[in-house]
Amino acid sequence: MKTIFRLFSITLCAIALFSSCDKIESDNYIVFSGAEGEWYSGNGVSDKSQRALIEKYTGVRCVNCPVADTAINTAVGQYGDKLIAIAIHDSSSFTLPFGSNPRLSTPDGQAWSLFFGVRSAAMYPNALVSRTSTGGTWDLFTPTSGINSRVDNVLSQPAQVAIDVNATRLDNSISITADIELLQNISDKMTLTLLIMEDSINATQLMPDGSRNNEYIHNHILRDVITDIWGTDIDCNGTAGEKKMATFSYSEFDNTWILDNCHIVAFVSMKDSRTILNVAECEID
Amino acid sequence: MKRFILTIAATLFFGLSFAQNAKLPENITIKTLDGKTVETSVINNDGKPIIVSFWATWCKPCNRELNAIKEVYEEWQEETGVKLVAISIDDARSASKVKPHVDGNGWEYEVYLDQNQDFKRAMNVVNVPHTFLINGKGEIVWQHTSYVDGSEEELFELVKKIANGEEI
Amino acid sequence: MNRRSRTIFTASLLLGLQSITIGSLNAQGILGGSVTGNVQFDGQLSRRDSVIGSSDVPEKLLSNARADILYTNGNFSAGLRYEAYLNPMLGFNSQYTGQGIANYFVSYKTQTFAVTAGHFYEQFGNGMTLRAYEDRYLGLDNAIRGLNVMYRPTNGITLKALAGQQRYYWDTRGLVRGLDAEFSLNDIVKPWNESKTRLTLGGSFVSKYEDDETIPADISGFKLNLPKNVGAASVRMDLAHGGFGLQAEYAHKGQDPTVMNDFIYKNGEALWVSASYSQKGLSANIQAKRVDNMGFKSVRSVTGEMLYINYTPAITKQHTYAFLSMYPYATQSTGEMGLQADFMYKFKKETLLGGKYGTDLHFNASLITGLDTTRIGGKGTDGYSSSFFGTGDTYYGDLSLEIAKKINSKVKLTATYGYVLFNPIVEGHQGEMHHNHVAIADLTWKINRKNVLRFEAEWMGSDSKYDPNVDDKRAGDWIMGLVEYNFTSAWFVSISDQYAYNDGIGNYYNISVGYTHNATRLQIGYGKQREGIICIGGVCRQVPASNGLTFSLTTSF
Repeated sequence: MKTIFRLFSITLCAIALFSSCDKIESDNYIVFSGAEGEWYSGNGVSDKSQRALIEKYTGVRCVNCPVADTAINTAVGQYGDKLIAIAIHDSSSFTLPFGSNPRLSTPDGQAWSLFFGVRSAAMYPNALVSRTSTGGTWDLFTPTSGINSRVDNVLSQPAQVAIDVNATRLDNSISITADIELLQNISDKMTLTLLIMEDSINATQLMPDGSRNNEYIHNHILRDVITDIWGTDIDCNGTAGEKKMATFSYSEFDNTWILDNCHIVAFVSMKDSRTILNVAECEID
Repeated sequence: MKRFILTIAATLFFGLSFAQNAKLPENITIKTLDGKTVETSVINNDGKPIIVSFWATWCKPCNRELNAIKEVYEEWQEETGVKLVAISIDDARSASKVKPHVDGNGWEYEVYLDQNQDFKRAMNVVNVPHTFLINGKGEIVWQHTSYVDGSEEELFELVKKIANGEEI
Repeated sequence: MNRRSRTIFTASLLLGLQSITIGSLNAQGILGGSVTGNVQFDGQLSRRDSVIGSSDVPEKLLSNARADILYTNGNFSAGLRYEAYLNPMLGFNSQYTGQGIANYFVSYKTQTFAVTAGHFYEQFGNGMTLRAYEDRYLGLDNAIRGLNVMYRPTNGITLKALAGQQRYYWDTRGLVRGLDAEFSLNDIVKPWNESKTRLTLGGSFVSKYEDDETIPADISGFKLNLPKNVGAASVRMDLAHGGFGLQAEYAHKGQDPTVMNDFIYKNGEALWVSASYSQKGLSANIQAKRVDNMGFKSVRSVTGEMLYINYTPAITKQHTYAFLSMYPYATQSTGEMGLQADFMYKFKKETLLGGKYGTDLHFNASLITGLDTTRIGGKGTDGYSSSFFGTGDTYYGDLSLEIAKKINSKVKLTATYGYVLFNPIVEGHQGEMHHNHVAIADLTWKINRKNVLRFEAEWMGSDSKYDPNVDDKRAGDWIMGLVEYNFTSAWFVSISDQYAYNDGIGNYYNISVGYTHNATRLQIGYGKQREGIICIGGVCRQVPASNGLTFSLTTSF
């Protein structure tokens, strides 16, 4: 009986060893196999609402900037996920880091700042909502007031395009998938711009009273523009109802960034006018 | 094509010339009707002739043959000591119906299951019914495929010869 | 090798094997052993007939030929099979075209240990996880080429392990590995040795390996994330106590997206239960089964009948009369529920219903339905969910009552009534359910010891009508007559005709002549043949549709 029991156990073990049978989780049944950056027909976007982007140009040595942060945070609290904020540090004396603090400015942010004429206008803080312009002039404003009217203006228009973005952290890269669904006919060329943002960065900030706040927490700081700074062309016919998707891979992150605090912002803009049509953000899973 | 026929003819010629030599294989695995695994060496009749009949529940001529022999089996046994061993080639579709089928028909034969058809292949059975006659030494002395009503009488003539030690 | 040199090679191989035997025999049994084998040759000279659907045959002669040679010497055996499909017969896949050694093996087997290298056939349990088998008339051969080992460590325990590739026409594909264990408890546990109750338990595990490949998902830019290893496991039991029998097997299969299930990721499962009771002159058997996404093939993207690893048995009765088997049912491995009952009773001799010679009564009924499923999605999803006891559309049903009676010492009559329900969806096309009534009279008249006449008359009334768009040539109402004359078991002649007298098309006439001598049989037929199982002149076989002259030679030695 003992031998039989032993044999039985050996058999069971052998079966267990043999049982190499793959189990695939249901969210992984299909995997991306196309080329990165190429546009394919997609599944569409479930949340088709219109959202606004407020981009703030700021600096650690700008004493008025913390006031703008407060005002923007209040607005984000009001509008919820309908308003997405980003903060851009360009390269000027106002953005020089204190001591050994990390540099928050980026070449991409600098390029935008120069293009929109942030320096020639009221300097910092300065802001644009969804990159709107009137009569060829960018609607730059000091975001301590006047945020709501601009956001309301954007949100009151029906969404022309819906966007959804998802990001997955892989071993040495981040895979980002953007889904686009056209809600109206759009004959002009559109582009998609992807940004990687970091939250909760501790860096010294000059406060309105001139003091240095060494514990200041900077949120939604632009780390890099993943696509070309003016976005990548969306390959579509421009007919209402069209659903497209594209996948991007990003691996140029710096080892000073804390990836757990990073998130992705994606927006669709008109290629010529650069006006943002819609925007979305997501965590990196 | 010519070559193929030649090949077959040659094979047949040489093969047939040694046909008498073939013995009933002893190490093929078959199953009893109650699920026990046995070897074909269990097919034994103490030096008396054995009829090995390959059949299936769905094969009408097979059933006619086994039913016809049933009527005379007792006489055959008394006269010659012959034993009929029925090998079912039913696959999983009908294998579980073999025992009810055998009992329902009232067959008193030794019946085995050859579900994997190992025995069928070893005996070169192509179609059923296929009947073999085994002499006291375990040698295959005669085989026949197909059955028509009445041919069991021809079979019995051969059984009698073998029981008497005559050549076929 | 080209065709010619291959033939020469084959011939020398066959003859070589023979000479070894001759040599060994001459050596007074030093090597001993025996050579046996069988040869089969089927030929067809076809004429086109669009009405019955026999295809246009540009080749004059279609032929299938094969020869099995088996060498046995004690525990050792070796064999090879030569096959030639110079133009494969109708019904055989054209990929069979060619000739060569299709199967070879060497095997050593004792009571406790066996090893086979080369091609082998094997079945675990009822075949729900693994069944490598061959059906020469269907052109089906799932032989595994590899290694098969059996070991019996002690009486009552049988372990099997195998690995290999499956035959795919003239090629081998896939990679299959399998383990099986069977425990005959009565032999293992001493006090139960003599018990009237016999219990056998078994289990098996089979896994296939296949490399990744690109199968596009329904969403462009995406492909399926395919499992490279797919496993299937089963447990089974066989319980017997006197006349009672209970057999059951349950099998489970892991995610296996294939072209057969439209690349869904749902697990597969199958349950089969058979219960029976029998005593002399009486038997009853009930079977139930549920199959859900249990098709298991060694290559995921191959359609057709080849490369199946497992077999989910159809439980419906295998009818052999032409009209009862007109709509044969095959298991829908994607999903089905089935119930089948068989009953058999013998009225004893010298009773009211038994008469002088006794009367046999057979009854069977079966019903097969689809599963109750809720769709989740297509390719690259779980596909559907199904409730265990829910049933879907009726696929097939039948009912038959057969009474066999010997009227006097010379005349035997079998009368059968049958009712068949058939849903065309089973064969992949839409249409109304067919309801067929079938009546059959089968009379054998033994004129004397050497001369036997058999008459068969069949009628089928159906609510189906022939529709050229569907082109189901079985539709409509039919009658059939057959006369068969046998002179001993050596000669037979038969003439038959099936005719659609209402709502159908077709007239299938056939004349056959056969000669049998020992294990050699030659049959020549002329006429139109419907595809299906036919039993004629004492044997049953599967045939494809044909029109013209057919001949068949089989011999065993």
